[in-house]
Amino acid sequence: MSLSLLLLSAPALVVAPAQDVQTEAPAPPVVVPAPPPQPQEAPAAPELADPLADPATAAAPPPAGAPGHAKGDPLEGFNRRMFGLHQSLDKAIYRPAAMGYKHVAPKPLRTGLRHFFSNLTEPVAFVNYLLQLKFGKAGRTLVRFTVNSTLGVGGVLDLAKTEGINIPHHDNSFGDTLARYGVGPGPYLFLPLVGPTTLRDLLGGPVDGAVLPVAIGKPFTDWRYQVSSAVIPGLDLRAESDDELRALFAGAVDPYATLRSVWLQNRAAEVAAIRHRKAPPAELDDPMRDPDAPARASDAPELSDPLSDPAAHNPATTPR
Amino acid sequence: MRMSLSTALLLALTAPVPALAQADPARETVQRLDDGLIAIMKAKGTAKSRATAIAPVIDRTFDLPLMTRLAVGTGWTTIAPAEQQALVAAFRRLTIAQYAANFDDWSGESFAIAPQVEARGGDRLVRTTLVTPGKAGIAISYRLRANGGEWKIIDIFYRNAISQIATRRADFAGVLAKGGAKSLVAHLDALAAKGSF
Repeated sequence: MSLSLLLLSAPALVVAPAQDVQTEAPAPPVVVPAPPPQPQEAPAAPELADPLADPATAAAPPPAGAPGHAKGDPLEGFNRRMFGLHQSLDKAIYRPAAMGYKHVAPKPLRTGLRHFFSNLTEPVAFVNYLLQLKFGKAGRTLVRFTVNSTLGVGGVLDLAKTEGINIPHHDNSFGDTLARYGVGPGPYLFLPLVGPTTLRDLLGGPVDGAVLPVAIGKPFTDWRYQVSSAVIPGLDLRAESDDELRALFAGAVDPYATLRSVWLQNRAAEVAAIRHRKAPPAELDDPMRDPDAPARASDAPELSDPLSDPAAHNPATTPR
Repeated sequence: MRMSLSTALLLALTAPVPALAQADPARETVQRLDDGLIAIMKAKGTAKSRATAIAPVIDRTFDLPLMTRLAVGTGWTTIAPAEQQALVAAFRRLTIAQYAANFDDWSGESFAIAPQVEARGGDRLVRTTLVTPGKAGIAISYRLRANGGEWKIIDIFYRNAISQIATRRADFAGVLAKGGAKSLVAHLDALAAKGSF
């Protein structure tokens, strides 16, 4: 209905932002319908969000440092309801619209639009790199933006990624800047049509969104730009990640918890990359203690594994 | 189809031994898995035939009992032995079904395995890249631990960031807390039976 109209009109808005495109006040899917569904189950205690907090085995080694799981999910009850709402909206509106966009818009157009809107985030990334005192990266981002905006025909072509320039796009948000200066993520949040985020990243969003409207003004202050820049990349991202999302949810016992874990782990790695010039491989941080093995007296995680020749020593035992 | 598939697997399982005599044994385990995955991708076939083909490779390259215990976490010791075995069996079925469902088609993909293997404590980390023509490579790393004289995969990292064990811990926690091991086994079996991921 109004959504298909939105789909047809949105690319036109981008091509000719000054034109008065006829729309029936397209209701962007950002609008959250009225009553959230009643909780079907008592929200689990926040403690249960941590998969390792089992008081019955307090004698067992502590669940040291699983990446992405240090923070809990204090708003889990609320988040789960929002996740349920989002899944319903996704099934009814968001996914069909995204797949329709993929079906209707030819691939070169979708790629061009993706590059165009991504290019407009480069000034935001540039500002954030400056705020993070990462001047080299700020400079590279500026080069990337200049090359793609000029030779790349207003950002439609991503020439900076190839062509011997070799400066691929990197996301950089005000949430990253806050993280750079030690602001913690705050509670995990799942919001309909926003998806997974944290309080810090959610609050950083409007700051990033204000960079172009404040610095340049028109046409970035125009609601038509605002709507298209939210809707088109949103539909594109949803369509492009459909296979991945489907695989993630279909293989999950608890899709909400799985998405939270995956998103938080990924975000933690991004923040670690911002905060440390060169991060040591974090993949071996978790000692991965076998719960079946006899508990050792409180070693530091670093000492949990004997540094003996693995060929001569076999700490793991099978449960049978 | 079956013939060519098992021939390919046979080659995959036997070929690396003389060729990479000096290679790191942990790297060889990953090589074995990657060869098996490429083989089922190329064979296409049905989910069932792919599962049949990849199951022995997974059994040989993964420490599935340890992965189950790590994913269940510290609560493992409170679970009855029969249910522990049921959990391992269900986790194995799901792992095989997921690989069979997700590696169903081959369009030029290959795995590049980094020559150097990182070590910390008793574990090793083997980095690989899934290379798809025309797309950005995807980093997939494997953490291995020695068990019974063989290096077995105990965790997989997607894009150098997302640990499969950490994800499964989160995934299993709610069901374990609510319904215990029995409920988790039922959930895992249902997922494996569905077979489309």
